[in-house]
Amino acid sequence: MTKFKSTLSRRSVLAGMAAGVSALAMPAILPSRAFAATPGSNPGKYKLDLGGYTGPELSSAPITLKIMRQEYPPETNEVMNAIYAKFSAAYPNITIQEERVPYGDLPTKVQVYVASGQAPDIMMGRNDFASAYAAGQLTLPLQQFLSADFIADVYAPLRESATIDGNLVCLPWETNPVYMAFNRDIFDKLGIKPPPEVAEYDGGWTVEEYMQCFDDVTKALRASGDQQTFALAASGYGNGGPGSNYTQLESIWVRMMGDPNAEKGSSAYNTFMGVSEDGFTATGYVNTPEAAKGMANYKAVFTNGYTPTGVVPDQFRGGAAAITFSGTGTVKRFLKTGQPFNFGMSPAPKGTIAYTTTVADSPIIWSGTPYPAETAALLAFICNDENRFAFHDAWGSMPVRKTLVDALPEYATDQRLTLGTNVADHAFGPPKSVGWFDYFSAINPAVKDIALGADPQGRLDQVATQIDGLLAKYK
Amino acid sequence: MRIPGFSVNPTRRGELAIGPLMVIPAAAGLGVFWIWPLIVAIMNSFRGFNPFTHRPTGWAGFANYQQILADPAFQSAFWISLVYMVLMIVVIVPLALVLAILLDKRMPGTVLARAAILAALASSEAVAALMWNQLYQPSSGLFDAIFRALGMPTQPFLTDGNLAIVAIVIMTAWKDVGLPMLIFLGGLQAIPPHLFEAASMDGANRWRKFWRITLPLMRPSIVLSLFMTTIAAARLFTPIQILTSGGPNGQTSNLAYFSYAQAFLFNSPGQAAASVVVMLLMLVVITVIQGLALRGKRGAS
Repeated sequence: MTKFKSTLSRRSVLAGMAAGVSALAMPAILPSRAFAATPGSNPGKYKLDLGGYTGPELSSAPITLKIMRQEYPPETNEVMNAIYAKFSAAYPNITIQEERVPYGDLPTKVQVYVASGQAPDIMMGRNDFASAYAAGQLTLPLQQFLSADFIADVYAPLRESATIDGNLVCLPWETNPVYMAFNRDIFDKLGIKPPPEVAEYDGGWTVEEYMQCFDDVTKALRASGDQQTFALAASGYGNGGPGSNYTQLESIWVRMMGDPNAEKGSSAYNTFMGVSEDGFTATGYVNTPEAAKGMANYKAVFTNGYTPTGVVPDQFRGGAAAITFSGTGTVKRFLKTGQPFNFGMSPAPKGTIAYTTTVADSPIIWSGTPYPAETAALLAFICNDENRFAFHDAWGSMPVRKTLVDALPEYATDQRLTLGTNVADHAFGPPKSVGWFDYFSAINPAVKDIALGADPQGRLDQVATQIDGLLAKYK
Repeated sequence: MRIPGFSVNPTRRGELAIGPLMVIPAAAGLGVFWIWPLIVAIMNSFRGFNPFTHRPTGWAGFANYQQILADPAFQSAFWISLVYMVLMIVVIVPLALVLAILLDKRMPGTVLARAAILAALASSEAVAALMWNQLYQPSSGLFDAIFRALGMPTQPFLTDGNLAIVAIVIMTAWKDVGLPMLIFLGGLQAIPPHLFEAASMDGANRWRKFWRITLPLMRPSIVLSLFMTTIAAARLFTPIQILTSGGPNGQTSNLAYFSYAQAFLFNSPGQAAASVVVMLLMLVVITVIQGLALRGKRGAS
């Protein structure tokens, strides 16, 4: 990769001056310190249970730490606020400021902050952007602050997707492995066989069987006079609707048609890969015949009226759709708040392989933070066992650490959750490219166009060329 | 040369001193919010940038311009920008004039109608776009519901390239027609009534009075409205972002949206700046042509 050389500019001069002032002040603010903890759980080593944190004791100087994350429901926000309050009570010299933004805007927000040179200390990132974080040196490697045991506890697919060249560039903190939720009441009412309720990640229907099911359900609903209920719910990922979040959702339709065990360089292998090994080429990967076939299936669910063509918030929860792509979040929330209807869970559609992706909200620590230890400690505190249990209980997402899952009996006893753990174990990380943000930004509109009628092969060819052009600047 | 016995009026002297001071805030604002950003954009259009941090990496010459000019998406956005300008002028200016003429009369409901139009003008562009997004939704929107009720096929308002542009223009016309309407109302009310009275005495009908008196005397208002509508069309962004995100297949993306995408979606701030500069140049050229055309027409009359 070409090394970027900095040049003098007004901003860089001002930034340099600020850095100089900060450096002059650093000795006073951050006295020298020694590591005060050993790897692993650290009860008694710090003022709080800082989870996997292994860094030095925190400074006693006045510090303000800034966090940017997505908006959660009020109950979950209360949990987060309680966590901050505990941390601040133990370290009253540390003030926590939080900014909450809509989920779909997070990647752009991170980008804008990084460009400004004054980013929050902790920002909500995602593991699919890990390569970009690493290549741009945007984040602090977390393994220098977290114990190996703590890191090893994260589900392997998530951990591997967040690790670039041995550096943990972001910390997966929750996951919702994608599989299917279905409304048993609708299926019973229509007299149609629902998807299989199995615990094995690869025990579900093929994509053809799901398409047949969508068709049967749609025809039965319309025949009964129901014009409002759909077979498949509108996507609730990202900002919703078609082309909402390729990494987490629409890529399933494509990559399931590929095969990671096929001969390297073959069309099936490249379909699964999604991008070249060096991360700079999409042509021949995103636009293979297998990918086009997968997108043709995706297109069919819209053009055949199996799913709405727009955004329909809470469609599945509202009982207006028979099936939805979902995950443990749906199960946990339904169980917690009372099931709005009888529901079941089943693996995602299978193509050549049983594929689902593992995308996790993954906080990053900005590499420019003047308080790396304090920031890492706060993040580790948020992720300690007690706080994670409280968070997951409120929000409903699945823990990323196996020991936490093992401590929750429902994940072993409830098929709907057991399936989630098995999917998490066998999920695949997203394609790795330093330009994934560009790739993601380009592919989503293309997927939407296909959903709304564009020719899959033609549109994929077009976007592949576009992505190649976009990725060129990273070489 | 100072004339003996003559001195500058103290009031005049005060005005000469205070006047420039009063201009300074406006000039400063113009400099900070328009001139300086423009200078920065021009400078950035000649720079390379780190795609991760968006920090300048050095002089890039005309590379950014070469890249955008070769980009099919930019080429498309350029022409679509022109389409928006034409459509918005064709829709908004005549509509505003008609509304102004109608609402200039004292009739029942005039006040309410004026208030409604001005309320739309005062509303947030984002809020208006979100509202119209709901109206255009194929399964739950009002427009398609009406079509279904009438036994007509539903229309892909936001998912067909041609229809989507029209949908955006209609939404924008609904929201923005109020300002040119106000301009036209002012122009109408500035026309001396005795001209119409004299024309009536000469036997002129309503149409002839409009064509011979109203329209010529409204020329300044028309010129102003044309310029304002052109500028508004060139910088149209929020409805595009909310209704279509530039789709389908880039068919509703104009230069403003293209610039946004380059900067915030594709990590290319240099190309974004170049696109902004091209957009500005296009706008300058168009307004100059408009000015010359209107001046030529005025000279002929």
